[in-house]
Amino acid sequence: MRDVPPNPSTSLADRNLAASSSSRRRQLLVALAATALAACVPLGVSDVYAMNVMILTLMYLALSQSWNVLGGYCGQISLGHAIYFGIGAYATVIVYLKGGISPWIGMVVGGVFASWIALALGYFCFRLAGHYYTIATIVIAEAALLLVLNWEWAGAALGLQLPFGPDSWATLQFGRNKLPYFYFVLALSLLTWLIAWWIEGARWGYWWRAVKDDAEAAASLGVSIFDSKMAASAISAFFTAVAGGFYALFVSYIDPQSVFGFQISLLITLPAVLGGIGTLWGPAVGAVLLIPLGELTRSYIGGSGSGTHLIVYGALIVVISLLRPEGLVSLFRSSKPARGAQA
Amino acid sequence: MLNRRDLLVSSASAALISAAGSPAFGQSSVEDVKIGVIYPFTGSGAQVGVDARFALDTAADIINEAHDIDLPLAKGKGLSNLGGAKVRLVYADHQADPQKGRSEAERLVTQDSVAALLGTYYSSVAAVVSQVAERYQLPFVAAESSSPSLHVKGLKYFFRPGPHDEMYSIAMFDFIKHVQQKFPGTGATVALFYEDTLFGNDTSKVQKRLAEEQKVEVVADIKYRANSPSLSSEVQLLKSKNPDIILATSYTTDAILFVRTMRELGFKPKGIISQNGGFIEPAFLSAVGEHANGIISRASFVLDLATKRPSLKAVNDLFKKRSGKDLNDNTAREFMALIILADAINRAKSIKGPDIEAALRATDMPGASTIMPWDRVKFGADGQNSSIKPVMMQYGDGEYRTVWPEALATRPLKWPLT
Repeated sequence: MRDVPPNPSTSLADRNLAASSSSRRRQLLVALAATALAACVPLGVSDVYAMNVMILTLMYLALSQSWNVLGGYCGQISLGHAIYFGIGAYATVIVYLKGGISPWIGMVVGGVFASWIALALGYFCFRLAGHYYTIATIVIAEAALLLVLNWEWAGAALGLQLPFGPDSWATLQFGRNKLPYFYFVLALSLLTWLIAWWIEGARWGYWWRAVKDDAEAAASLGVSIFDSKMAASAISAFFTAVAGGFYALFVSYIDPQSVFGFQISLLITLPAVLGGIGTLWGPAVGAVLLIPLGELTRSYIGGSGSGTHLIVYGALIVVISLLRPEGLVSLFRSSKPARGAQA
Repeated sequence: MLNRRDLLVSSASAALISAAGSPAFGQSSVEDVKIGVIYPFTGSGAQVGVDARFALDTAADIINEAHDIDLPLAKGKGLSNLGGAKVRLVYADHQADPQKGRSEAERLVTQDSVAALLGTYYSSVAAVVSQVAERYQLPFVAAESSSPSLHVKGLKYFFRPGPHDEMYSIAMFDFIKHVQQKFPGTGATVALFYEDTLFGNDTSKVQKRLAEEQKVEVVADIKYRANSPSLSSEVQLLKSKNPDIILATSYTTDAILFVRTMRELGFKPKGIISQNGGFIEPAFLSAVGEHANGIISRASFVLDLATKRPSLKAVNDLFKKRSGKDLNDNTAREFMALIILADAINRAKSIKGPDIEAALRATDMPGASTIMPWDRVKFGADGQNSSIKPVMMQYGDGEYRTVWPEALATRPLKWPLT
């Protein structure tokens, strides 16, 4: 992972700080309009595959936005968010399979549990600075993967499968109909965006960005660094776990490798990194570009066995990272100062 | 005002959206019977997918073109009951990820309107694909995914012509009994050595149960992390326990590492019995060379069966022309899976899922019409073919040969190794 250059992010934060309440209202309106527009897409698209791609895109948008709360706003780069994702997925399925409790409750249970875990881990890990924290998150997520792989009661390596039932909103199980999943995950994406939006304007948000920019200076001004990190971490873990629960219901089968694996941590992080860390729209832009690209290249050029699609996918990420190290949203910002000056 | 980059981004996203809406590539005449094939074509299991493609293309060629081979559908061109319709395979890549497997299966069914699904090597993906097949009411033939958990879910559209791991483990313990009787004083103790994904876990569970039933002492039970960069401590532990037989369950890279580490640490047990997997892969055999000598593997297919299955040589020649290698346990099962599926579609005289399901259920193919050492192909209510006799084969002189049961053996068993 490359380092985030301190200067651009500081200036971005400054700009955010300076953003007037009217600009915040405009952001909110844009988000609501985008959500409303997205909600209309299924009216014209009935294809199951296209729906799958959109659902995945929105899921990673929500995940990456959740990650952004901790990684972007508070500056604590985690490469182990799969642990929260996996906890959410397993909690949802276990609560339903073993307890007969609605997966809706299961998702919340998973979220709360993941938050506790995040606080417990944070208690130790937030004493580590910078890269050491990142390394610790990787190691802890890998340890969680190993634990679940050997946990017989939770299916061990075999994983857990949701039973075959009739279509129902109560269990969020739908055989062929993808619409319910789409609207659920669209709502979740909006919710995570709203959280990020709220943070940008709230006292916590200012604290977190201060922690990110210069922890010692922030501490000298009375910002509680440790509490800031803990709060960001708990919120981030909660929504990551809810999305994990959604994933389990959507795929209806989970095994340790597919929910606790390192590739999940990466896929959660990538959209935000690509789109722009610590920005409101970065995760959305990143997810909308990255996830369909990965899916479409695999589906339409992946069957050949030549691996071309991964080369295309990888090359694109490299090109974007080189041209726009601050993330794709900076494309839109380049024209912003002029407008800002007028306002 | 749009600048150059804005324009670039918006046109790129427009291209993506239009690609999402466009129909699948390669449309051709409506007569073709399309079959969706889902394998890992990238990632750690990619070689399996590439080999599977050679095997399935060979099978499709035998079905679609006239061949003088004694197999169902080989003689004529295409599916005779469907007006000579050709079988067309539509490939998809699941990258060993259940979610991608599900998405690809749904795409093949809804966009490509495939008549049936075939795959997937990874049992975790097979679990998800079998659900999709059930939802859309079309058959899924699991060619080589061998987890016993797959056929016990009460699914109507799941079919597995090959054996599942439990049948293999039973055969392995029957073989151990044979060794104990024929070579007294050997085979009393075993060590289990297995990787920690579904494959290894499932296998070890059954092996532990069978060992207890047959009073074979398990002196070590070692589970290792799949794709681990080193197996030194695990092999060291094996060496210290000094079992007569190691029962190994590994994929290719682990198997290579395991054999190399044993050589480095100077440990050689009386016998190594492997659960197929990586130990029969050409990549393994070329990587460890002569150090593979003496390794025994269970199998549902051995090349030296040619004397008993005349069609095998012709099929192997065709396969070798495409792939440059001989058929192995995986590719042979993949080949047979397509022949069995196409035969059912032909008998169903229809490409509707429920019709093909009924025809598959009525399948009763004698072993002589296959290239496998199976008695016949006949599916139970659970979709599992139960008329299968696994065999044991041993590596030596550059190839695996059948050593047990003795009636099928083409080379005497070399035992013990030390």
